[in-house]
Amino acid sequence: MEKNVVIAGYVRSPFHFAHKGEMVKLRPDEMAAQVVRGLLERSGIDPKDIEDLIVGCAFPEGEQGLNVARLIGFLAELPISVAGTTVNRFCGSSMQAIHMAAGSIQMNAGEAFICAGIESMSRVPMAGFNPLLHPGLAERFPAAYISMGETAENVARRHQITRQRQEELAVISHRKAAAARAEGRLSDEIIPVDVKGSEVTADGCIRPDTSAEGLAGLKPAFATDGSVTAATSSPLTDGASAVLVTSEDYAKTHGLKPLAKLRAIAVAGCDPEVMGMGPVAATRKALERAGLAVGDLDIVELNEAFAAQALACADELGLDLDKTNLDGGALALGHPLGATGARITGKAAALLQREGKEFALSTQCIGGGQGIATILEAA
Amino acid sequence: MAISQAAVIGAGVMGAGIAAHLANAGVPVLLLDIVPKGAENRSALAEGAIAKMLKADPAPFMWPRAAQLVTPGNLEDDFDELVHCDWIVEAVLEDPEVKRDLYHRLEEVRKDGSIVSSNTSTLPLKLLTEGLPARFAADFMITHFFNPPRYMALLELVAGEKTRPEAVAEIAAFGDRVLGKGIVHCHDTPGFVANRIGTFWLQCAVVETLERGLTVEEADAVMGRPLGIPKTGVFALLDLVGLDLMPKVDASLAATLPKDDAYQALRRPFPLLEKLIAEGYTGRKGKGGFYRLNKANGARVKEAIDLATGDYAPAARPSLASVSAARRGGAKALVAHADKGGAFAWAVMSQTLAYAASLVPEIADDIPSVDRALCLGYNWKFGPFELLDKLGAKDVAARLTEEGRAVPPLLEKAAAAEGFYRVKDGRLQHLTVAGDYADVRRSEGVLLLADVKLKGPPLARNGSASLWDIGDGVVCLEVHTKLNTIDPEVFKIIGKALEIVAKDHKALVVYNEASHFSAGANLGLAMFAANVGAWPAIEDMVSEGQKVYAALKRAPFPVVAAPSGLALGGGCEILLASDAVQAHAESYIGLVEVGVGVVPAWGGCKELLSRYSRDPRRPKGPMPPVAAAFETIGMAKVAKSAFEAKELGFLRSSDLVTFNRERLLADAKQKALSLVEGYQPPEPVELFLPGPSGKASLAYALRDLFAKGQATEHDMVVATELAEVLTGGAKADFTEPTSEDAVLKMERAAFMRLVKTPGTLARVEHMLETGKPLRN
Repeated sequence: MEKNVVIAGYVRSPFHFAHKGEMVKLRPDEMAAQVVRGLLERSGIDPKDIEDLIVGCAFPEGEQGLNVARLIGFLAELPISVAGTTVNRFCGSSMQAIHMAAGSIQMNAGEAFICAGIESMSRVPMAGFNPLLHPGLAERFPAAYISMGETAENVARRHQITRQRQEELAVISHRKAAAARAEGRLSDEIIPVDVKGSEVTADGCIRPDTSAEGLAGLKPAFATDGSVTAATSSPLTDGASAVLVTSEDYAKTHGLKPLAKLRAIAVAGCDPEVMGMGPVAATRKALERAGLAVGDLDIVELNEAFAAQALACADELGLDLDKTNLDGGALALGHPLGATGARITGKAAALLQREGKEFALSTQCIGGGQGIATILEAA
Repeated sequence: MAISQAAVIGAGVMGAGIAAHLANAGVPVLLLDIVPKGAENRSALAEGAIAKMLKADPAPFMWPRAAQLVTPGNLEDDFDELVHCDWIVEAVLEDPEVKRDLYHRLEEVRKDGSIVSSNTSTLPLKLLTEGLPARFAADFMITHFFNPPRYMALLELVAGEKTRPEAVAEIAAFGDRVLGKGIVHCHDTPGFVANRIGTFWLQCAVVETLERGLTVEEADAVMGRPLGIPKTGVFALLDLVGLDLMPKVDASLAATLPKDDAYQALRRPFPLLEKLIAEGYTGRKGKGGFYRLNKANGARVKEAIDLATGDYAPAARPSLASVSAARRGGAKALVAHADKGGAFAWAVMSQTLAYAASLVPEIADDIPSVDRALCLGYNWKFGPFELLDKLGAKDVAARLTEEGRAVPPLLEKAAAAEGFYRVKDGRLQHLTVAGDYADVRRSEGVLLLADVKLKGPPLARNGSASLWDIGDGVVCLEVHTKLNTIDPEVFKIIGKALEIVAKDHKALVVYNEASHFSAGANLGLAMFAANVGAWPAIEDMVSEGQKVYAALKRAPFPVVAAPSGLALGGGCEILLASDAVQAHAESYIGLVEVGVGVVPAWGGCKELLSRYSRDPRRPKGPMPPVAAAFETIGMAKVAKSAFEAKELGFLRSSDLVTFNRERLLADAKQKALSLVEGYQPPEPVELFLPGPSGKASLAYALRDLFAKGQATEHDMVVATELAEVLTGGAKADFTEPTSEDAVLKMERAAFMRLVKTPGTLARVEHMLETGKPLRN
């Protein structure tokens, strides 16, 4: 007998620019611990019931190394009985954490899990401190290590996503995020964090004054003849996120308030040269498993790693952009790699409830050529 | 009282620049200005000045972190903070009443024993202290900095009759040792010393140019290099300092100088100047001046103004026989020449130098003070009296007499004796006002190679370098090629130094007194060898350099390098091979070899890798030192100060910085002697390099740079070779050590592969021809 799995809470830290934002000086383990504590307080769960703290991280080394999940558990003062594991599927890491929790619940291997994600892109560089590539693989199959910017250019070219369309999406993303921030629609999810004695309460990457004219003047960021600019790429970001994943029964009997139910999940590989297209195959698989069609989706959280990639996926899947990223996407909010999966899945769940809708999708692309997708339904 | 906290009042260009330089020297400084009317941010002026300085080029700060020592504030809310300040520098409007009002306010807050000084360039001290209490007069003096304060080495000090001598001594010592300035004690006369003579010279040159119908290009060609004056000459200098400054300085001097002063006779209207200023042609800070850059049609064309019509035309390269003659015969040949350039030079310099001779002791006690003021304040290679000696005091006096012009008494005395300077018993002496000679005094702790050279012959010498005994068992290695480039002759002298010092001396200092420590290897030689396909000769030069630099490093005695100015490429590698560096603060250090299409091959790659590997601030693992060295060398990063050089690892954190150029040799000698006891040469370091895995990572990074247009095709070739060297080559693996010698071998091999590529040869040729790197 399969158990239903619910998302019973979602929070995140403010997201800030790496290297120049307000969270540069905050260790990622400490950041995540504050977010996990916030989740416990807001959800009201008894921490003793938690089976495992599963933390997604794309570059788990330095201050986010050493099985950081266990250390976050200590920092957040979880009971010693709560286990901790760190998972890595690059940008899909914390959505993967949710999928692992769901699998465990259905295996009767636990009733409640905290699924978190972290990335301090200020304090741990992309590719880590010691990138040591397999020289033979680099020679035979260079796409294995292809840079993300290059994949965005590939997608833009192959799917003919013009620079103008990319910039339109960036403008919309900032406009939506700015409105959401101004109207207080983000405060439910944000846990203010303490950065060496000063409190950071709001997002830092959103630029409300973003305009098409302003963006048109930027130089291409990755290729001299390219169409992708800094503004149509998600910024390097510091941030953490966490969702509470429980069995539906547990949530009911313990007075938790589920936001949404997990309906189906999937991962899929794709050509690494166009890793941005990963959501297409993953979403199709998940929809099929859910017995749904794209048209059934009311809410979509599609990660905007790059505008080009998000638009190409939306085109390919036939997603309705009016139902997508209602409070803005990563172009405006930022994309702290390991933390994004839990953010968009938690956000999709929260939006289902807020908007009173039935089905939602969260999906994202993953470096190395993968996609990951989650279908949610109203709790 | 030690100066441990300073304040500057007035956050204009000079005030802010002085504050920045105090911060460079490690002194916390309060920077105050008025509260702008209706301002929300009451300290906006000081804050704005700091922000602006952080973006300015040339940078007032030696490194961005120095800015943290400058605390911005305003004269209303923060005035009481001045109670903590030991030295308060006033740099507000040149208005005696404004200044005196401020001084009265200062008297209410400043502590006993604190010193107040004004950075005025035009107002007499007597006027500034009028009506102020005795305590103020005792603690007050003029400290006149030159613009920009970080870079100009002159600090003119004017003390009043009532100024405490201890206060003057304290500021003089602080300005000299801490701020690195050359102190010139001036009398309280208009324009003090440097501007009194400098303004006369400028005015005279402008007048003579106009009256003789020379072009601005001709005037600058004559009034620059041939006389040891910066190539900006007259008109380009006016563009640099701002055309609008000239009328202001002129008005101030005209008002304060006696009516019979020779300057008054030079004054006359200059309608073109007024027109230029009115139209916004205020010089480089404005739309242009006597010269401008015309960017129309996409090209950047340097244009010069026609002084008669006011029209601009592409700047010409004047060819004057007098200027050519000066290349061989110096200033003397210039003024002796009969063409219009020679006549112009004589007219201007005879008036200017005679004027200078007439002003001692009115403006300063002695002639070395005047020479120092012009050398440090106007960047003249020779001061007025040194120039008179170059021209021959006798000859100048005779020619003036011949032309029926007056000969100043001091010049008469010099002509009758042995000139303004002479060398007696190995000591430099100057003519005194009384007509006899006295030793040119150096401050304690100043050791000049120029003085050492007067004492006797070198220990060894060839066309490229010399060895000097600088006392106490220390030998100085001086390179003296063009731009002090390194060539095989330098290697020979280094070999000699290794012998001599090991035999009967204690330590070696590498130092010279030119503007630049060393611009690197002699490219001309390499190019010549490449053109005739003499590859073995090039490889010899590389391996010989490696051997010599390694021998310096392993020598049984301490080696201290003391750079100032550029220390690039092979020059930088000398620093890297030394046991310690005593760096002038204004040292510009970098491994820039990629600019000419090669990799550092005299141990630069090896040394930087080994330093970065041992740097505890870096993350662990095989890649961080390699990636950092790849970035530093691959981007040809040049540190813009000794402090930046520490950040980049060209200097160790234990290396010392000297602010005063004249103290560099003595400080380096001291450092070398401190290392003598128990000296052990450094052991070779084992490096743990990543090999092909690391090279693959760097290759991806390079590919992205190329796609972004940040690396050119030949950059890719050069950087790929650099990656090969820095990652340790095909056989390296970080589980086992790679020896320093193995890295040296790879440096050499990569250098040889690169030097044979057309891309590299094109870069070398371009650098030799234009002095700029080629982006191919």
